[in-house]
Amino acid sequence: MQSIQGVGISLKHQHFREFLNNKPDVPWLEIHTENFFSPASTASKYLAQIRQHYAISAHCVGMSLGSAAINCPIREQHLHKIKNTVEWLQPGLVSDHLSWSASPAGHFLPDLLPIPLTQEAFTIVANNIRRAQDILQRQILVENPSSYLTYVDSPMTEWQFLSALAEDTGCGLLLDVNNIYVSAHNHHFDSLTYLNNMPLSAVKEIHLAGFSTEVIEGKELYIDTHGHRVCDDVWQLYEQAIKRFGAIPTLIEWDTNIPELAVLLDEKSKAEAIINKVECIENSRHIADAVNGQGRL
Amino acid sequence: MTTLAQLQTNFIHDCLSGTLTVDKTLMAKDLDTQFISARGLMGIYQHSAIANITNSLRLSYAVIEKLVGKDFFQLMCKSYIVKHWPSTGNMDDYGESFSSFLAAFEQVKHLSYLEDVAQLEWLFHQSSLANDNSYFDWTRLAKVTTSENITFLLSPSVSIMSSATPVDKIWQMNQENAPENNELSLDGTSDTFIVLFRQGLKTEMMTVAESEFTFLQSIEKGLNFETAIESAKAVNADIAIDDCLKKYIELGIISGFSI
Repeated sequence: MQSIQGVGISLKHQHFREFLNNKPDVPWLEIHTENFFSPASTASKYLAQIRQHYAISAHCVGMSLGSAAINCPIREQHLHKIKNTVEWLQPGLVSDHLSWSASPAGHFLPDLLPIPLTQEAFTIVANNIRRAQDILQRQILVENPSSYLTYVDSPMTEWQFLSALAEDTGCGLLLDVNNIYVSAHNHHFDSLTYLNNMPLSAVKEIHLAGFSTEVIEGKELYIDTHGHRVCDDVWQLYEQAIKRFGAIPTLIEWDTNIPELAVLLDEKSKAEAIINKVECIENSRHIADAVNGQGRL
Repeated sequence: MTTLAQLQTNFIHDCLSGTLTVDKTLMAKDLDTQFISARGLMGIYQHSAIANITNSLRLSYAVIEKLVGKDFFQLMCKSYIVKHWPSTGNMDDYGESFSSFLAAFEQVKHLSYLEDVAQLEWLFHQSSLANDNSYFDWTRLAKVTTSENITFLLSPSVSIMSSATPVDKIWQMNQENAPENNELSLDGTSDTFIVLFRQGLKTEMMTVAESEFTFLQSIEKGLNFETAIESAKAVNADIAIDDCLKKYIELGIISGFSI
């Protein structure tokens, strides 16, 4: 299994050849597992070559951890396809979202749909996470989603729900800083409160991405499109996240309007600069503490 | 209180059943509608879901999109999605029936070639995802004393299709690197027989004679060698079976045999 450290970027098929030919300096790459379900496909063959040079993280979008269906065949089939892919890919991390896609009636929406944050939903999601971890025989990370609606009956906050899931199931958490920012705007909560209530030891990875805006019935909503650069406010929130959680692996995520690889590498440099800045401040503080401590001695 | 199971069934119904209306949005009672109505909120997810599924169809049917135009393709996809709700999380498997849907879709059903172009694109898609050939020891063929009981096998990436229109040319004319301003007349064209197979990272397409197509079609159906020869000779008595067999083994199209 490969070690995931530093700032990685999404691997998109438009950049396959560039990674193979030029081997740009990136410590790790993240793929959508669902794009590599056929081990002999052209995409999988490229990935097999690329993974010889880069550590890979497997980010899933279809485990449907919030599905209420018991013994849901769609979810089970999907989980076994993920297992097959994970077995040959041997990724450093495996993650999916706090969301659902498969309905009890046997239909599937390829989207990350929101769940009500209730005790019923908690029990279901916790069972589904345990099932996923049993099948994959490893810890998974669960990501906070972006959302555009809330339910009338939703007594828990998302950070309470995720923290409790991590404690109950042993899963790790993937903190999408952009998703916090998007949902905080859409649902009127404070981003820093969310960040500061996420459990320190459970957060194992950070995602950064861009969003777009849309006006619905006169209200401006942020939509998590992964098709733009990271916005300034999210960079600031990211700095706070690094201060709180340390330099955990960070991903520059990009899924629509894929730009030239140079743009992703530029965003990666910005994230690295923030990590360096926070580490410098921390080091200075430690030195100052040591000096002051010596002075007192 | 709505159970999570019922809520999820209602959610997908709202997203995929077509037009959301004020009084028919099933999710209405479960949503916080302080700032945006239930119809507006579900519209966001409906739009996103249909866009995501349309993107999957776009990947499989790029030539169809080019032929009918981006806007009309989206409109056709929405009609298709509303009638064919996805039932798999693997979107590579979604959209097989799109060709037959096009054949019946009112605004384009007079464009009879679209169905076959869509079928060709689906076969390309399947070929790109298929397993590789397993190693096969062809020296075993020299030890076979009678050909009667031999049944040859096609590679998993092989697909064959015939069409009354030159779909191979239509497909080629609508690739990214195709020369512009090419015109193709569909009048007086003869049937086209196509074999798709993957070599390395690329799916190749070739047109073949009807007799060779019949030979491969017999193999695809699991018929034995003798029957495959008879079928091919019924189309063209002069077909050189040895050459034909050698060619398809060398190309990896025929990937083994059983006795």
